[in-house]
Amino acid sequence: MTTSTLIQTIVVLGIVAIALVYVLRRIIKTTRGQGDCGCGCGKNCQHKKKND
Amino acid sequence: MNTDLSNKNNGNNVTRLLDNEPVGMTVQVVRVLGDGAFRQRLLEMGFVRGARVTVVKNAPLQDPVEYMIMGSHISLRHSEASQVEVTDNDAEFCDMEDAYRGVVETEMPAIDPMADNVLRVVLVGNPNCGKTSLFNNATGAREKVGNYGGVTVDSKEGWFVVDGRRVQLVDLPGTYSLTEYSPEEMYVRTYISENHPDAILNIVDAGNLERNLYLTTQLMDMNIPMVVALNMWDELEKSGDKLDIEMMGRLLGARMVPLTAYNGHGVKEVLQATMDAIDESEQETLHHNVNYGTLIEDYLKSLGAMCPNLDRYTVLKIIENDQHAIERLNGQANAEEVKKAAAEIRQHIERDYNDDIVSIITDLKYGFVRGALAEALTPNPDRATNETKPGYSLDKLLTNRWLALPILLVLMWLMFEATFTLGAYPQDWIESGISWLGEWIGKALPAGILRDLIVDGIIGGVGGVLVFLPQILILFFFISLLEDSGYMARAAFIVDRIMHRVGLHGKSFIPYLIGFGCGVPAIMATRTLENRRDRIVTILTVPFMSCSARLPAYLLLVAAFFTANQGLVLMSIYLIGIIVAAITAIILSKTILKHDKTQFVMELPPYRKPTARNATIHMWSKGKQYLQKMATIILAASIIVWALGYFPRHEGQTPQEQIEQSYMGRMGKAIEPVVAPLGFNWQMGVSVLTGAAAKEIVVSTMGVLYTGESDATEESASLKNKLQNAVTPEGEHVFDPIVAYSFMLFILLYFPCIAALVAIKREAGTKWMIFEIFYTTGVAWLVSFIFYQVARVF
Repeated sequence: MTTSTLIQTIVVLGIVAIALVYVLRRIIKTTRGQGDCGCGCGKNCQHKKKND
Repeated sequence: MNTDLSNKNNGNNVTRLLDNEPVGMTVQVVRVLGDGAFRQRLLEMGFVRGARVTVVKNAPLQDPVEYMIMGSHISLRHSEASQVEVTDNDAEFCDMEDAYRGVVETEMPAIDPMADNVLRVVLVGNPNCGKTSLFNNATGAREKVGNYGGVTVDSKEGWFVVDGRRVQLVDLPGTYSLTEYSPEEMYVRTYISENHPDAILNIVDAGNLERNLYLTTQLMDMNIPMVVALNMWDELEKSGDKLDIEMMGRLLGARMVPLTAYNGHGVKEVLQATMDAIDESEQETLHHNVNYGTLIEDYLKSLGAMCPNLDRYTVLKIIENDQHAIERLNGQANAEEVKKAAAEIRQHIERDYNDDIVSIITDLKYGFVRGALAEALTPNPDRATNETKPGYSLDKLLTNRWLALPILLVLMWLMFEATFTLGAYPQDWIESGISWLGEWIGKALPAGILRDLIVDGIIGGVGGVLVFLPQILILFFFISLLEDSGYMARAAFIVDRIMHRVGLHGKSFIPYLIGFGCGVPAIMATRTLENRRDRIVTILTVPFMSCSARLPAYLLLVAAFFTANQGLVLMSIYLIGIIVAAITAIILSKTILKHDKTQFVMELPPYRKPTARNATIHMWSKGKQYLQKMATIILAASIIVWALGYFPRHEGQTPQEQIEQSYMGRMGKAIEPVVAPLGFNWQMGVSVLTGAAAKEIVVSTMGVLYTGESDATEESASLKNKLQNAVTPEGEHVFDPIVAYSFMLFILLYFPCIAALVAIKREAGTKWMIFEIFYTTGVAWLVSFIFYQVARVF
């Protein structure tokens, strides 16, 4: 494996790892009712979570 | 509909019931029969003794019926209207007087508005009176407004600044009263009791004061500084009616400010008045309450002295035997004593007034409002009658007995057809742009894993979904126009009888409609349904209303495999979803969620000219949400899907072998036996699995899996072309119209995304969420299987 290929592989695996962590965190937050309301409106979501 | 039973002979007087009155008749309410929460709701909507009610029209299917009372249009089923006793004999009411007895003043101690370091103002008012418009104007937010009740079902918070002071503004759901008939009303009452806002900003519809001010009389009793904003002031001025605001404010004992929220006129003045009210409360002040007359006021004082920590509103509710108010006595040492005293007081009042306590208090409140309006409001003698009001002719057409349903279907079809035809042009441009970008990067970067990630993973995945942005925007633009015009509430009125037949409630139409956008707010919107059983059935069937996230998959497959009647094919998918929802509701109503008698009372808001500004704001807001999703979850999921399809790699593999032996391929092969009877290959099976995170990912997964399978010439560059040309190892086409339609049916019906499942769990419970996963997937498999197998034969 050349140096260039090695660097590319590390970079790509890093990106994949970040994506995986992001998706898992998002799933965990959604199932716990944290973060936004889950409607996908992003971090400026105005929906307040109902205090059940 | 009652006939002989409706007119009972009651001695010398024939008792008439509202459900038997013909269209065009105007009568006066004598009393509301029965008891319970629904009776109270009818009273609070204005069906009090002496109120004039006009029968406007029957729904196209003859039930429910539209009535006009206190300037509002209310929809009631025949079975509910039969609870209202009426007469056209004015002599019965000559002993009635407008019971305006002024206000009582209560000394309120000074309060520290910054006790919890936050200045907080709550927006309270009837549904559809403009709270969210004011909220958007005051805070700069872009919350959704709509011309039907149930748009806001949860509180939303924002901030505004006056004289350098930052204040939290909370937009609460619309409510006709604080009596907790529905979850949203309970939410409003609980929010105010538990959060002790520094001020209440009560929004009322200035053109419909009599009914709107009923809630104001309840809010007055909560002893919180209050400002009343008279919204839709421009419409009042246009009508020619004259309201003396200062006098009205004196009579009610509250600051009143005119407002036209939709264009921002009066917003600054309203906010300033609110700050002034908060500043005044920092000193000892006199608070004004409705004067119920000497008898009841004395009782309120004596009972209030026994529970000094409770506000006047709660004390009054205890006298009314309201269970939620009585629960607030729990833990108090003299709770039993208070309950006994309240019961005795209730008996005395009922004996004195010769009526039940709920009717008495409601009558007194409406009497107070009517009396104040008699002093301060001068109606225009040349005011438009119902028939001359703008929108009347249109309403007659849209709710016509024979034309209403066909018009509804045609409007839906036009919406979908426009989505395709108009959206095709910008879609082509975006597609070309994405292809060009992929090719340019492909040439600019050296061959290798990084280039593959960017071109096949990111551009292939995200680009595959991004091309549908124009269609999504167009669809939401039309939905917004229909919503803002007031037509959607009429649609609920039109379809209520059909909904009732399948065990649903006419008000379920609103969550269903929202569900065509996104399932999460649709599930939350079921809070407008008072009955828990209705809510659960609606929650379980809302996912069958195909949300906008599934639209990219339909658009892709329809464009690829149906060259003619594209709008019709797309509409058929939506209609099948509706039919499956109806069948599910029937099954649930006859089995595990048996249908009990539910009531239907709904206000029909006036028609309003939808503004291009509002529709564009809504469309842009939806577009932003879509793009945000692209940049976050879709991007991340596309990268993961690409990686699962890329690894592991071995030397000497053909592209076909590599993808089949990747992690993704192995997953796909494992589930292939389950999806093969539906006509799907393993790639399609894996795509629907990845759709659990977000339904758009179905298309981005297909984009990743099919990118690179064929030589990337300019013509075959699009995903559409790749699907059209995809072949099996044996050389047969993977997709044809039957397979494509079967795939669309599965996408339509199988379990919703995680966000929607969590919403179901929050609103209905874990048990129902699990039920939903298995039920929807089972239905999807069965329907796709039957369609595919039967279509193959023909």
